[in-house]
Amino acid sequence: MKNRLTRRSLLALSATGAVLALSACGGNVGGGSASAEFPSGPITLTVGQAPGGSTDLIARAAADGMADSLGVALPVVNKPGANGALATEEVAAMAPDGQNLVLLNASLITITPLAVSADEAVSLDDLDVLMGLSQDDYVMVASTKSGMENFDDIKNSGKKLSFGTTGVGTGSQLAQELILAQAGIEGTTVPFDSGSPALTAVMGDQVQVSTVQLGEAKPQIDAGTVTPIVVFSSERNEFLPDVPTAIEAGYEVPVSQYRAIAAPKGLSDDAKQKLVASIKDAVATDTYTSFNEKNMLTPNEISGEEVTAEWNELAAKYKELTDEYDISLAGK
Amino acid sequence: MDFFGPVLDGFGTVLDPTNLLYCLLGVVIGMLIGVLPGLGPAATIAILLPLTYGVEPVTAIIMLAGIFYGAQYGGTITSVLLRLPGEASSVVTVFDGYVMAKQGRAGTALGIAAIGSFIGGTIAIVGLTFLAPLVASFALDFGPPEYTALALLGILLVATISGGSKIKAIIAAALGLFLATVGRDGFTGAERFTFGNLSLADGIDFVPIAMGLFGVGEILYNLEERHRAVSAPLKVANVWPRRQDLKQASGAIGRGSVLGFFLGILPGGGATISSLASYALEKKTAKDPTRFGKGAIEGVAGPETANNAAATSSFIPLLTLGIPANATMAIIFGALLIQGVTPGPQLISNDPELFWGVVNSMYIGNILLLIMSIPLIGVFVRILRIRAAILAPITALITLLGAYTIRNSMFDVMLVVMFGAVGYLMKKFGFEPGPLVLAFVLGSLLESNLRRSLLVLEGDPSGFLSRPISATLLVVFVFVAVWPMIKSAIDQRKNRLVAVQAVKEKENA
Repeated sequence: MKNRLTRRSLLALSATGAVLALSACGGNVGGGSASAEFPSGPITLTVGQAPGGSTDLIARAAADGMADSLGVALPVVNKPGANGALATEEVAAMAPDGQNLVLLNASLITITPLAVSADEAVSLDDLDVLMGLSQDDYVMVASTKSGMENFDDIKNSGKKLSFGTTGVGTGSQLAQELILAQAGIEGTTVPFDSGSPALTAVMGDQVQVSTVQLGEAKPQIDAGTVTPIVVFSSERNEFLPDVPTAIEAGYEVPVSQYRAIAAPKGLSDDAKQKLVASIKDAVATDTYTSFNEKNMLTPNEISGEEVTAEWNELAAKYKELTDEYDISLAGK
Repeated sequence: MDFFGPVLDGFGTVLDPTNLLYCLLGVVIGMLIGVLPGLGPAATIAILLPLTYGVEPVTAIIMLAGIFYGAQYGGTITSVLLRLPGEASSVVTVFDGYVMAKQGRAGTALGIAAIGSFIGGTIAIVGLTFLAPLVASFALDFGPPEYTALALLGILLVATISGGSKIKAIIAAALGLFLATVGRDGFTGAERFTFGNLSLADGIDFVPIAMGLFGVGEILYNLEERHRAVSAPLKVANVWPRRQDLKQASGAIGRGSVLGFFLGILPGGGATISSLASYALEKKTAKDPTRFGKGAIEGVAGPETANNAAATSSFIPLLTLGIPANATMAIIFGALLIQGVTPGPQLISNDPELFWGVVNSMYIGNILLLIMSIPLIGVFVRILRIRAAILAPITALITLLGAYTIRNSMFDVMLVVMFGAVGYLMKKFGFEPGPLVLAFVLGSLLESNLRRSLLVLEGDPSGFLSRPISATLLVVFVFVAVWPMIKSAIDQRKNRLVAVQAVKEKENA
């Protein structure tokens, strides 16, 4: 009796283990047989950020629609590390059979290289960008306790202010450093680990101003616990129509986060066409469009060639601006 | 009546059969994934998120919340039985829990953990029900200087909780602080100790270190022991906590509930520090502190109560302020947004049904967990009856699989193997892994907040003392650091007086 119980619990244990192992490895099955018709099996979409973040949610929303369109499973696999560089380099080195894709954050290509050494910087050269997805805007918010309501208040505060960012080498840091440098404001920049603590710090007036992503700040703006100052998109954001852009306020700070799907370089035309068509199908679904709206993402569904051109242009632009105003993202 | 109306309506929501079913589903999934180290509640919730699109928002959140606190309990099982703490907040449970299992009291340890978790969770929900809006601002008053002071206090507690040699504990803690510096510097982007390896750019994850040092280290050590001598078969008795055990643990459970409730409100590190503080508090207040580390029931009851209370109260900042306190909360935040509900200061007034539905589902979820875990403890402890030759490879498998699932990377698996070797050597030379792992967790909290504080305070350290909360914490820090010295000085003086008196009496006689 004892023996049987042991065996049974063992069996249960190993069964659980096997199930978990299968679910964990789900993303890696399939792949092979390049000669066969595309897609030859499940397609893996790798995300360089942890599960649950906005990048991951976008990947999962797109993957759902693509899977329906292509008729194969499209598991999302998270490989966080080095701001997404780890996942991007790994996928770039894979066979260009279209079975492995990666979700790209523009900041990795355009902004991170300004903060890390040259050999860690990631470029688009080894990738075929399939299509752009959406634009995620940054907004500068001030604490209600500080009483500041617009950018002039910050400029004329006469006090030394602290400015929170969501981390080194992020759009939040770049946008804020640029506007402060152009307005000639002296302040202390305080990097936090991500958007949530940077926003919390403004709510508690631990820092007076922070620049965070709109989706995170919106509930607090609506509740009046923080005051929106400027958005950094080139045009007013549809979700915050009353808040001026930095450009309107007279500063040249065109910083947003963009996302796109890419594959290893050298994709066959057939595979590329099918994949692009599936992304187009995915972004046209009601589920996806309402997902964008709820997460305050502005659709930016441009072709892969346009994405490559735009991002390379932005990278050069940011380099030029940071040189002009003598800004170093890697601390002073 | 204005207050209780929505609260009672919330119970109506929970008792709806669909919601009850999803609550049960959530806690069962949570308990299962809690057993596997790397696959934490955050990742599970992210993966299961699409399943919740089709159901009502309140139903979805009830299930997701169930996964979260169910996982807390699942982690206890592996900590006690296999010496595998899946999360930083259950590291201290290992100290006495695993020893109790070895003494054949695994059932008692798991039982008291279940009871403590239930009580801690329930007290925290009551707190959440009545105090949420009042205590929420507490989280906002905690700026970088306050976190710095809290982390300093935590690291000091790490050194005092160790059972063995103080010097060895401090050496291990120093190594933990060193490991916390690995990775890209969050302030300048400079690489530190990464040797150009991108896998190290984000630093080392908690799971490979804890799994390697505790789990694999223990397996390797046991293998060697077995070769040397035939070890006696492990005693396994399914002893439900006796009245005497309950009496002994009741104080610890009470203190753990309060500590956990308040520290859990703090975003980032609250649950870990609360379990650590609870253990230290129990050891300090115990009549015989030497029992700790040798199977003291309070050493399991206190921290387990505290981390569950903290898990519950970490919903306060999310539901009342819209601040996610940890990675799991961040995903629940995302899930709420997708459901069209905006978590934030207006949630209670805009969506009372959802707010109270979720809060009240936690009462039910906690009861479900308790009901489920009691009969299951008997099943779980039988794991220890499995021959080591079979159990050890399974444990190793769970450990490696867990490390792989953190970010689907073989690099983390190699790290577990490496830290396993380190853990084996540490055990052989009498070092405990506990101080190392806890110092590692608190180290990054301390470093980033200290640097952040100095930025905010413009390099003026006196700012730490002009802020009431950080000043209070620093006073406590100094007191805890200096007290043992004062105490030994007083004791010595007393002894001397007694000795002098004895001599005098002798002379008189």
